[in-house]
Amino acid sequence: MTTAPHPDPRLLDPKLAKFNPLRRVLAHDDFNTGTHGWIELIGNHDQHGDLDTVDAHMSDFRPPQLSSCNFFDVGTHGAMSGTYALKVATRPVTGHTGVAIRRLTMSGRGRVQFETYFAYKAEAASADNGAAGAAGGGRWDANNHPSEQQFGALTVATDICDGVRYHNVVRYQNTDLDHTVQHRWMYPTVPEPTPREHFEGKVKLPRTADFTAPDPADWQQFGERQELCFNEVPTKVNWHYLRWVIDTSTRSNVELQVNDVVHDMRDVPVPPYDEEYGSLQNLLNFYVSVRTHTDVRNFLYLDSVLISVDW
Amino acid sequence: MRQSFTAVIERNATLTGEFTTEPYEAAWAREARWFVRVLDSAGHAPRMLVRTQISPDGLHWCDLDAGTEQSVDPAEGPVHSWPAEGFGGWLRLRGTVVGEQSDAASVKVLIYLALKS
Repeated sequence: MTTAPHPDPRLLDPKLAKFNPLRRVLAHDDFNTGTHGWIELIGNHDQHGDLDTVDAHMSDFRPPQLSSCNFFDVGTHGAMSGTYALKVATRPVTGHTGVAIRRLTMSGRGRVQFETYFAYKAEAASADNGAAGAAGGGRWDANNHPSEQQFGALTVATDICDGVRYHNVVRYQNTDLDHTVQHRWMYPTVPEPTPREHFEGKVKLPRTADFTAPDPADWQQFGERQELCFNEVPTKVNWHYLRWVIDTSTRSNVELQVNDVVHDMRDVPVPPYDEEYGSLQNLLNFYVSVRTHTDVRNFLYLDSVLISVDW
Repeated sequence: MRQSFTAVIERNATLTGEFTTEPYEAAWAREARWFVRVLDSAGHAPRMLVRTQISPDGLHWCDLDAGTEQSVDPAEGPVHSWPAEGFGGWLRLRGTVVGEQSDAASVKVLIYLALKS
């Protein structure tokens, strides 16, 4: 018996078959084999390495962890593929944000696609962490768990510079700052405050400021509301597919797919910086962040990431 | 090739009194070593006394090695280090900053956790 070859031989590899890459794969990050360049974001320091010169709100984004998704009730949950996922964790401090970044440059212009399988969790309660009594918690009804209202937001974003610097940003707002369920995809209408703006005296933000866009009024919804699969309790991990396409030839968004929903993003603006930045030619960074709205640790897990381009 | 990762568990942090560091997952690592780099200190003869703690779940903690205590004394130099062995899946430090007049003692530190598979 003969079998016709698969139309795309890359997809014969089970690790790639769960993705839908564009023509050229730039990076495939399987966290069973290390962190693949994902590292804590930090603000800039001076010529002496003086960490006091790092902006307070960009000084503590926490080191990413190679997590076996380990929980008090079941032990090692494991990742979607293999044992390990990349975990980004907040402190148990309202407004704290954990951020991991991956740094590339561009050898062309065109469509860029970021794919990942992700899960999100708030920390399970213990006597020590007091999560059961923290803001956002509430009564358990054996289906919905109050832990779900203690997860704030997760964000996937870029930092790109082709002479003009800009950020494409998508955020899943699980709850608002009052812990009310939102289930909205959001984008900021302003560019992210930068260390240079602080240096020039234009902005100084507190430690727990939302570094992507500090003013909640600067965030707008796009697409329809979308409910994800938290899966009832803080110790069950279900992996979600995310595929986000941008176009660096037009400095624009294209579309965001999360599981079975595709959000058209062609009309979602990407605010550029008015001023030029040096030292960043062809910058192509991706970051993921997780932000808690209560005094409970929030976690974002990535099973794996695939970044592909059409150039 | 073995995997490795150095996590900066505390950066430029001024510690006083009792403290614990954030939980860190390290089940993949065969080797773990703490480094503390003292940037500054205040008070009379300030020292940081720390124990490595371990956990089955990141929530509930006990001392590793029956509570072997490390003394981080800035007078003995800026960089201090000790290993953690047989730690399971999670690591953190539990410590206290003491001095001859303990209420005024503080240390400003970087705490690194160097891991290797």
